[in-house]
Amino acid sequence: MRAAGRLISLELRHNAMPLMLPLIAALFWLTTYRKVMAMPPLWNVRAASLQMNSVIVFVAPLAGAAAWMGSRESRRRVTDTVSITPRARWARLLPTWAATTIWALVAYLGCVAVLYGATARQASWGGPLWWPVAVAAASLPAFTALGFAAGVFAPSRFTAPITAIAAFFILVVSTELIIGSHSYWQITPVVAYAWDLGADPGVATFYPFLPDLPIAQLMFLGGFTVTLLGALALTSEGARALRIAAVGLTVAGLAVAVTAVMLAGTGTMDAHGMIRIPALHDAADDQPVRFTPVCSRTAIPVCLNPAYSSYLAATAATLEPVLEQIAGLPGAPVRILQEAAAYKQDTCQGPGSRVRSGTCSPNGVEINPGSPMSGGSPLVYRLLLPAQLPGPALTTAQMASQTRGDGWDMVRNFIGDGPGASPAQDAVTAAIIMAGKQPGATATFIQNGQDGTDAGRAPGLTTGTPANAAAKRFAALPASARHAWLAGHLAALRVGQITVAQVP
Amino acid sequence: MTSTTRLLRLYAVSRRVPFALIAIAACAVALRVMLLGHWDAYGALQLPLVIETAAATATAATAASVFGEPERVTGRWLPYLRLTATLALTAAAIGALATAAATGAHLAGGDLVMARNLAGITGLGLLCAAALGGGLSWTGPTGYLVAGVYALYTVWHGPAITTPWLWPARPPHDLGGLLSAGAVFAAGLAAVTVGGARDRLSNGE
Repeated sequence: MRAAGRLISLELRHNAMPLMLPLIAALFWLTTYRKVMAMPPLWNVRAASLQMNSVIVFVAPLAGAAAWMGSRESRRRVTDTVSITPRARWARLLPTWAATTIWALVAYLGCVAVLYGATARQASWGGPLWWPVAVAAASLPAFTALGFAAGVFAPSRFTAPITAIAAFFILVVSTELIIGSHSYWQITPVVAYAWDLGADPGVATFYPFLPDLPIAQLMFLGGFTVTLLGALALTSEGARALRIAAVGLTVAGLAVAVTAVMLAGTGTMDAHGMIRIPALHDAADDQPVRFTPVCSRTAIPVCLNPAYSSYLAATAATLEPVLEQIAGLPGAPVRILQEAAAYKQDTCQGPGSRVRSGTCSPNGVEINPGSPMSGGSPLVYRLLLPAQLPGPALTTAQMASQTRGDGWDMVRNFIGDGPGASPAQDAVTAAIIMAGKQPGATATFIQNGQDGTDAGRAPGLTTGTPANAAAKRFAALPASARHAWLAGHLAALRVGQITVAQVP
Repeated sequence: MTSTTRLLRLYAVSRRVPFALIAIAACAVALRVMLLGHWDAYGALQLPLVIETAAATATAATAASVFGEPERVTGRWLPYLRLTATLALTAAAIGALATAAATGAHLAGGDLVMARNLAGITGLGLLCAAALGGGLSWTGPTGYLVAGVYALYTVWHGPAITTPWLWPARPPHDLGGLLSAGAVFAAGLAAVTVGGARDRLSNGE
């Protein structure tokens, strides 16, 4: 044991990996750190991106360095010299592979520490996700085993570059082959989320991170590594017992890897946007995460998941003008509560198309609010933040612009406006939104479905119509007069018993 | 066989030039096969970049000498042989990939982008050969491949990285990208021509 430790320590000092560290650090900074730090400080999004990007950063330098180390005996023409040592070839080679892997793991853990350290300072809720870290870490021994085996079996000056580029190529192309959530290619360690959905900030916040796919990936990577190391022992000279053990190791590794691939093929995207593998699934992971929402001090409190607390001020400021208009009226919500999104695959007509009250991701995943817009007693209005949907990180201004539409929807829902509503309902809805001094909120503008509103939700309020005039008239009233009139006439307005002429 | 031809042949064999030519031909075949598929916007630029890098590393790998230091005292032709072999292999790589793309396939970015990328990355490999040794000439190109693929990704998923030093992400006729790639190729070629790869005898194959 002491000899093995000394051998590894020697190999650590004479390894090609330290040469790779500046390159890996530069690539990590360029492709991972800058990108991840520009993302919202949500553990789920950053962990997934860390896994994907760090695997891509490490694969080529690592496979190449391992191939270089694997071909060392041949390169230095000492194969015959060392073959007369009392140790079996496999026992000689293993410390070289182990040293290469140790260097890689140290470099990777350094990267994780930097990134997770920065995220810990920024994130408002939750904690580090370790499954994505584990998958990327497990991919490193697999890459070194692949490169090392290539270097041992085919030593040449071309082996290291060919191995490095081929490993990178396979990794990149494998993601192009993923179609749907049943794909066997999801086993590739680059995949950190449902591939068709992409890195969605709404996933793994309201519900726990599902470890099903990471478990299958760890099985695959472990099996793959053992198979390659076993194959090294198979081709080495040594005692019969060692060869038998090598056969057992290779077969076991191969069986585990193949099983993992088959398991990945049984995956489906669940309603929470994560890959569920029935054979590996723990039902306890389907329970929502308990949290105490953070709420604004508006007339009607706006309450968000604490992970999104950085969006609270902007969301509350955007909704506050309309909330002040309806607060205290009969049927008004007592609070606005952020909710989880519900995901469904293979139902969209095309990217960006609208489905029910939700939307479609670029790869055709349907995303809807997880529950009806309003409900419960006392009444709660449920809100799906734009920041919960896939896409580039939103600025505060972009968030506010997109949330404004939710405020308008809230008023429509409150008045009972929508297809089939009376002109008076259209007029009062438009008036409340205008009175809330929402940017761009003119009666025509709102009702024609522009600027974030959904065309066709409340048609008929065009310039010059009595409804338009009523809307302007009602919006011009003092807030207290509007409030008093609504308190007395809201029930009749909702059932269509108020005419445009009756709107003050 | 004249002595010059013999010298060229022996030099080529000692640098594994025939194997490099086979690797370049394999890259051309791989590019042609790859172009049979329909790749999305940046995939159509990223995948050829992988092939171009492979061809460039094959060229740069020939800088390694199996003889190391002793070879340097053998005569005055060595720099010319290095220059000729490197230029010939780079030209062969560009020609092979252009031929592969010309046989009824569409290469995103065109031949100019391919030649620019390949020459620049070859230069990077040659610089690594001069600095680290011929056996490690692949380190720069493979690292640059990751950066280049990412830079192409950022063109579609901003903010885009626009430095001309990451020329794979620059448009075909971008002067900055062409100059950067050209400068790196010239520097690499000069370094290897004058000083050869930084090889030790113990690192030969």
